[in-house]
Amino acid sequence: MEKELREKARELLESGEVSVVIGYGWNRRKTRTTPVFIRKPEEAERLIFNPLCVNNLSVYLTRKYPDIQKLGRPAIVAKGCDIKNIAVLIAEGQLKREDVYIIGVRCNGVVYRQELWKGELKPEIMPVKCHNCDLREPHIADTVVGEPVEFTPPEEPVGMVFDKIREIDAMSPDERWQFWMDHFSRCIKCYACRQVCSLCYCERCITEKNMPQWIETSAHPRGNLAWNLIRAMHLAGRCTFCGECERACPVNIPLNIINQKLVLVVKDAFEYRSGYDPNTHPPLIVYDTEDKEDFIK
Amino acid sequence: MEKTLLKREDLQKLIDGVREKGGRFVAPKTLARQVVYAEVDSTEQIVWDYIVPRNSIKEFFFPQTEPILKFRLMKEGVEVEDVRVEPQRTVLFGVRPCDAASCGSVRKIFTWDFIDEFYTKREDSAVIMTVACTSSDDECFCTTVGVSPEGKEGADIFLKETVDGDYLVEATTDKGKAFVEEFKEVFTEWNDAELKETANPEPIEGVDIEKIVEFLKDRSHYDSEIWAELARKCVGCGACTFTCPTCRCFDMVDEGTYIEGERRKNWDACQFDSFTLHASGHNPRDTQYKRWRNRFMCKFNFYPVKFTTKGCVGCGRCIRVCPVRLDITEVMIEVSEAAKDV
Repeated sequence: MEKELREKARELLESGEVSVVIGYGWNRRKTRTTPVFIRKPEEAERLIFNPLCVNNLSVYLTRKYPDIQKLGRPAIVAKGCDIKNIAVLIAEGQLKREDVYIIGVRCNGVVYRQELWKGELKPEIMPVKCHNCDLREPHIADTVVGEPVEFTPPEEPVGMVFDKIREIDAMSPDERWQFWMDHFSRCIKCYACRQVCSLCYCERCITEKNMPQWIETSAHPRGNLAWNLIRAMHLAGRCTFCGECERACPVNIPLNIINQKLVLVVKDAFEYRSGYDPNTHPPLIVYDTEDKEDFIK
Repeated sequence: MEKTLLKREDLQKLIDGVREKGGRFVAPKTLARQVVYAEVDSTEQIVWDYIVPRNSIKEFFFPQTEPILKFRLMKEGVEVEDVRVEPQRTVLFGVRPCDAASCGSVRKIFTWDFIDEFYTKREDSAVIMTVACTSSDDECFCTTVGVSPEGKEGADIFLKETVDGDYLVEATTDKGKAFVEEFKEVFTEWNDAELKETANPEPIEGVDIEKIVEFLKDRSHYDSEIWAELARKCVGCGACTFTCPTCRCFDMVDEGTYIEGERRKNWDACQFDSFTLHASGHNPRDTQYKRWRNRFMCKFNFYPVKFTTKGCVGCGRCIRVCPVRLDITEVMIEVSEAAKDV
């Protein structure tokens, strides 16, 4: 697949169809993958794809990166799950479909975190999203590379995140509060969750607005709670459960539990799953007279 | 001073002794599947086999958030109440040499043109018990930046592990000597036990620190194209700076209601786009690679030139936590390479 990927990238750069290919490459020691920006056809050889390619590169398509936008029209190497975020960016008017050339990669799953890699992709080192993936064959792409993947996701989603959600749902409000306060107490306000998220594309985040100060920026329990809650609310109905925020969190806050819970709530309330259709707006950013009102009691 | 032994089984006595006198005892322990420096009350909580904890020790002297004054709106005007820091004695056990070496570096900024008592009082009352490294990982690069896995800089008491899991004790400062004297019943006579082998991460090939500093000092390289190439992938989070033992930038915010509140000193990161944002709307570091360049410049140019060469102690945390694997050692190689062509 890498051969196919490199050939495609080279062709796109040679023809001038794109000016940069955003993809994955090795670090110097070839132990970890890292985002690369390929601008010359001869550099296409640096492109790779393997289960260590965890990053959701769609973040580089957002307006947070004016210097990357200046490079010209991009092609992006994207897994099905990454393409979901591109679909949301298109749905939200951040990007036009023709603004980006999507090189979809057929994927057999990736590792939860790169440091878990011991040379073999075992189910226990894969994130929950991979176990339930219905997009191993990319759904929106200009070209697709890789061998077809045979995989049918389980009818009922499986994985630790779903078990944990059931466990937390069964807790009393006090226990639930304690559970989250314990986790949020570790938050160091590095905003890695926000920065790796391609759907957190605001140039000025609400936490940076200080007249008035909506969110206390101090990393004390109240400030940490406020930050993590506001981010969750801003992603409701938009988050595709790509898992980048949890992967990036340096203090292991289980953000995927929040994200998946949001996905479940939105699916239940609006029968909507984000990231599948670039032509449908996420339900919480539009008004619809047909919206259910059963939550008003 | 004569050689002393600290038996692992006697460490509990030390913890109890420190705590009984009102101090806190900090050691590596597990929290949320990570090893962190945190307060412990029992040796059972201590992790013995670790490389570098997730956090650095700076947070014990320079907390992530702390009030520096309180204010209240009164009829007569604003009433301001000073906050005085009365630190609890902190004994830090199991500190890695890289972290211990960082203290002197952080202290420089907090004692430069103004003595910041919030920092100095805490550090002055702390006792740092360094344990030499017996293992390292791919991200460790202390030897590349002139720090050693058995470096004593910053340590009050320097410990080396024996094969039995006990420690050879060397009190390296007066504070350390006084501490050993104060708790002399805990320490025993050296038993000539065999010492564990010290880790020795190979210095990274292709890095020439002197060349890097020289390259960075030359202002014509400030706008070099290499910066965008090397740091384009940076996503601008603060994971590197917040886990870094020598990063010490902070912001001040007023928090509270319209009637009363606190002025707080919070960690800040040069990687955030609002870090250099002016009130006018102008931002001199308007794109991410410029912010990353600043961090690199700070470590290998601004800080070494102004204060100390220990701008970076090679703990490797910034590499481990980076969500896009922007590896500072790779940039060091590239800059060393670029410096050759100059």
